[in-house]
Amino acid sequence: METGKNRVWLGERNLYFDFPNVHPEARLRINFRRTLRVPDDGRDYPLPASLGRFPLLPVQDYADSLPPVMQTFGGVMLPMYQSEATWLNFDGSYPIAVKIAAGKINAVTGDSWQATLNNNPQDYITIPEQPWLDGFCVEKGTVRQFVAMPLGEGYTAEEQLTGKAEFGGLQIQAYPMKREFYDEWQEKLRRELGTDYHELPFFFSREIVEECQMGYAPGGKIVQDIYDDPHGVDAWDYDHSLRCFVHAVNSAEYLAITGRQPPHPPISKKAYQQEGIPWFEMYEREKRALRGSSRLARLKSLAQKSKEKNLPIFDNVTIHPNTVELLESESNN
Amino acid sequence: MTLPAKTNFGDYVRDTRERLKSKDRSFSLRQVAQRVGIQPTYLSKLERGELPPPSEETAKRIAVDLGLDADVLLAMSGKVSSELRAIICQRPQLFSKLIRQLKDLPDDAVLNIVREVTDGDW
Repeated sequence: METGKNRVWLGERNLYFDFPNVHPEARLRINFRRTLRVPDDGRDYPLPASLGRFPLLPVQDYADSLPPVMQTFGGVMLPMYQSEATWLNFDGSYPIAVKIAAGKINAVTGDSWQATLNNNPQDYITIPEQPWLDGFCVEKGTVRQFVAMPLGEGYTAEEQLTGKAEFGGLQIQAYPMKREFYDEWQEKLRRELGTDYHELPFFFSREIVEECQMGYAPGGKIVQDIYDDPHGVDAWDYDHSLRCFVHAVNSAEYLAITGRQPPHPPISKKAYQQEGIPWFEMYEREKRALRGSSRLARLKSLAQKSKEKNLPIFDNVTIHPNTVELLESESNN
Repeated sequence: MTLPAKTNFGDYVRDTRERLKSKDRSFSLRQVAQRVGIQPTYLSKLERGELPPPSEETAKRIAVDLGLDADVLLAMSGKVSSELRAIICQRPQLFSKLIRQLKDLPDDAVLNIVREVTDGDW
């Protein structure tokens, strides 16, 4: 099936990974959602809502304004305010395994970056099973939120685990399911379900300059499962993977780099509650969750690190979520 | 990029070649013609607008030699590359609609719609 070049491309605040050489429908779409930074107070919070998508810009367009290392890494840049949170939204019906790292620290296992998929323990997520990723998988059913912090101040997972502030940002590598595996799987589903599994809706939407580089620190805790790979590690096509470096760029420097206005500042916890913006819980009957990483669980959170440095952490009051909506996957039915 | 104010094919080629020649003698009329594979007199007439713009292949070779964007140079000849033409002809309604909708958008807005992302060394 040679219908075009496998490539990563940007379109309207979405990052696409296309694998036409594997299958015409092998496409992963990722966007980065603005959201509330949940309080880092030891409590578990439901999933905060999406407050829109972050803009994304290719770094090659701003060669003159960016540190050379960012040009070397390539990829895209994502403007975020210091201590602002994000979550990743994944769309795609063709099965794709995705490795996600922050500062080249695997967000599922806490291990250093490896360009292969491992299943013991599983160090990747699978699409379409996993619709969102909000943070580092610290224990079964719990993540610590991705919170942007300047590199070099010791907050990020990368700095805590490696002692270096070398990469920052997020790294993504996507592996489509092998074509022959996919065809067999589709055939099996057709026999079992009497329909094209591909057509089923899989999940609900959760819609409702030199010092510019940032990394991701583990923030407050959110209840979120990272799902076990239902296909097995041999299902994924290593010959056709694509990857992308997503640089977190401080919004304060964004104007200087791009000449564009940065996005408006993140919402406060008070405003989030006052506006009645809902929270979410995902109900999955049939999917199994990964155990979580003890390596990541040992990291100091943003609040713990700030306390250690005797620095205040802005807007970290406890919230009692007022509206929690239960989302049930179609695959439960 | 949008077309330069001076959108005449011959003037654009001559201005570019003369600018390059002021720093590098190998951009003389004769040597450029030789590298492109045409007669110097033919290139001279093209530059003076005495002949209509050349074929797509010749325009592309001129663009390569002078470091110009082949699509821009072809547009100055009133042409679209055969590669682009084939793409449009595969889905004529979709691309016609798309191009009409994009025609008044500023460059950066158009670039925001679809951009290939380059991977680096990390």
